[in-house]
Amino acid sequence: MTRRVFLIIAAAAVVLAVLLWLFFGPGRPSVSPTGAPVDVLPTPTPAPEQKVMLLFAGPDGLLHPELRNVPLPIEVHERVRAIVAEVLIGPVGELQPVVPWEAELNAVFVDGQGAAFIDITPPPEPIDGSRIELLLAYGLVDSILLNCPSLTSVQILFGGHEVPTLTGHLDLSRPLKLNKAFIAS
Amino acid sequence: MRRALIPVLVLLIGTSVLSGQEMMQTVEFQYAGRGVSVPRIGSRIEVIPVLALIGAGAEYSRAAGTYVVTYGEHTLQFTPGHRLVLADGDLHDTTDAPVPSPGGVAASFEFIDRALLAPLGFRLEPIPQGYRIAVGARFDDPVIVRPAAADFDATTTLVLTLDRAAEAIARVDDNGEITVVFADASPRLDPSSRLRSNRVRAVSSNGQALLITTAPNVGLLDWHSLDSPPRVILELGRVFPTPTPAPEYAPVATGPSPVVIDPGHGGKDTGAASDSGLTERDLTLAVARRLAGELRARGHQVRLTRDDGEGRALTDRTAIANRVEAEVFVSLHANASNFSSVRGSETYYMSLDDQATDEAAAALAELENEAGGESEERSDLDLILWDLAQASVLNESAELALEVQTRLNALSNIRDRGVKQAPFVVLTGATMPAILVEVGFLSNPAEAERLATPEHQQALAGAIAQGIDAFLRQR
Repeated sequence: MTRRVFLIIAAAAVVLAVLLWLFFGPGRPSVSPTGAPVDVLPTPTPAPEQKVMLLFAGPDGLLHPELRNVPLPIEVHERVRAIVAEVLIGPVGELQPVVPWEAELNAVFVDGQGAAFIDITPPPEPIDGSRIELLLAYGLVDSILLNCPSLTSVQILFGGHEVPTLTGHLDLSRPLKLNKAFIAS
Repeated sequence: MRRALIPVLVLLIGTSVLSGQEMMQTVEFQYAGRGVSVPRIGSRIEVIPVLALIGAGAEYSRAAGTYVVTYGEHTLQFTPGHRLVLADGDLHDTTDAPVPSPGGVAASFEFIDRALLAPLGFRLEPIPQGYRIAVGARFDDPVIVRPAAADFDATTTLVLTLDRAAEAIARVDDNGEITVVFADASPRLDPSSRLRSNRVRAVSSNGQALLITTAPNVGLLDWHSLDSPPRVILELGRVFPTPTPAPEYAPVATGPSPVVIDPGHGGKDTGAASDSGLTERDLTLAVARRLAGELRARGHQVRLTRDDGEGRALTDRTAIANRVEAEVFVSLHANASNFSSVRGSETYYMSLDDQATDEAAAALAELENEAGGESEERSDLDLILWDLAQASVLNESAELALEVQTRLNALSNIRDRGVKQAPFVVLTGATMPAILVEVGFLSNPAEAERLATPEHQQALAGAIAQGIDAFLRQR
């Protein structure tokens, strides 16, 4: 009888120990189901507001600058993220957005050669017109490059994918460089 | 009662232990006689211990916003939660995304094999106890090669642009054949690419090598590789004593080369459309047919990339021009803007992209001065060799664009939007002077109404034909 009680207590202790080890042990593996890296990766270094130049579409079919004070982190990719977020928010004045749909910034990469890769929401339906495509591309690209001097080019991705072109005109399969041809003089 | 508790507890213990073993499962990886047990989390495994086994460093970069893997000259970048990998500056889509893990980041076996180890020159091979990391990427992995050549007075620059980074060397065999041998890939030629060179006769693939067939007495002078995009560049020229030059009166073998006109869009791709229903697809075809008539009347051969409403791939259009060795390539389009007030015609020619950055510093200073911002220093960019090789074609494209746009400006009611440069897909890969003409804005009601009339279409065709004719006569 005493021996049985002892065995039961011992077994219970082992179960308890195993359970405690499994749930609170140091090596317990866990994976975020959707892989949200935000809370596990380093947070950007806070930075004071700076004046940035953003480009939006004007009634002449060209890009026009709009100045805005924006907190700009030191890290280049966070800086790009801040600039793109402002471009996607759109203009505050008479100008029009260069991204003509409600797009979100999904990801930003910066490689060692000064190229930034930004991934935004794809258009919900096909869009037409080379002018719209040109202003979208260079509104984003030029806004980033004018405010991030360490970068030399920007490639725009849609929905996590490279696309050859958006409306059948501009080659978006590679990073674009600063092009002032579409900025109003 | 107490007796009944015993099997329950034993079952609990067994289940817990099995569960713990399942959650803490490891996979053995071996490389160069060393081994490491890497934690497996579901279908993924910890990435960093695998990379450490081959001596590759991997750490999160706050500046890049990615994990950065460095191994020799190679740099890979990837971010948990995203399926994109930057391998030596080239972007690659992957089948799934790595995820945050207790060890930093975990990924699938395929991701580690294809996206991380392959660009570093390794591959995974299954063994009974796990995986062995073998040296050498998978030889059967194709690399798409797009050859392009530019002839200069004494030399030819042959640029082999690769769709991904791949190690390659150029060499001259004992029999004098020039080959480009790939260390870890099988080159496949881009079927849409066409060569136009007097010194390079053909480029063909054979296993892990490309064979470069040249004209007699032309050999390999020099070669080197470039990144972003990955390219192998060969300098070709005379390597044997120059033969006696032909007399000046010797006949020159020439034949009529056509002007290739490309009516933009087609098929289900109607392009832009006016409020009245006029589509870019139909308008460009109408203007193209009239342009063909105008050019033929001036004695030029003409070829259309499409002569009906059917669609055609963008790369096919340039390929047609290259295949028939066109004198010039003219792609016709009609524009659209979010502002209905925007109107006018404009002509584009290819931007090799880096060229557009020559004025980057000036543009920045100029814009910031205008808007009251502060200027920052920018470093100059090196002009890549590909730009140099294409410089003559690009200059001619600029001249052609100017000739055409000047005539379009002369048309009444056409506002000059000027000649601009941009990297248009349909102009990419053209080996002759190539331009894209936007004849007007379909989003402008008044202009759309004019564009729909046969008279205005004929006037546009006449103006463009005059520009092409003037360009060809002064060559």
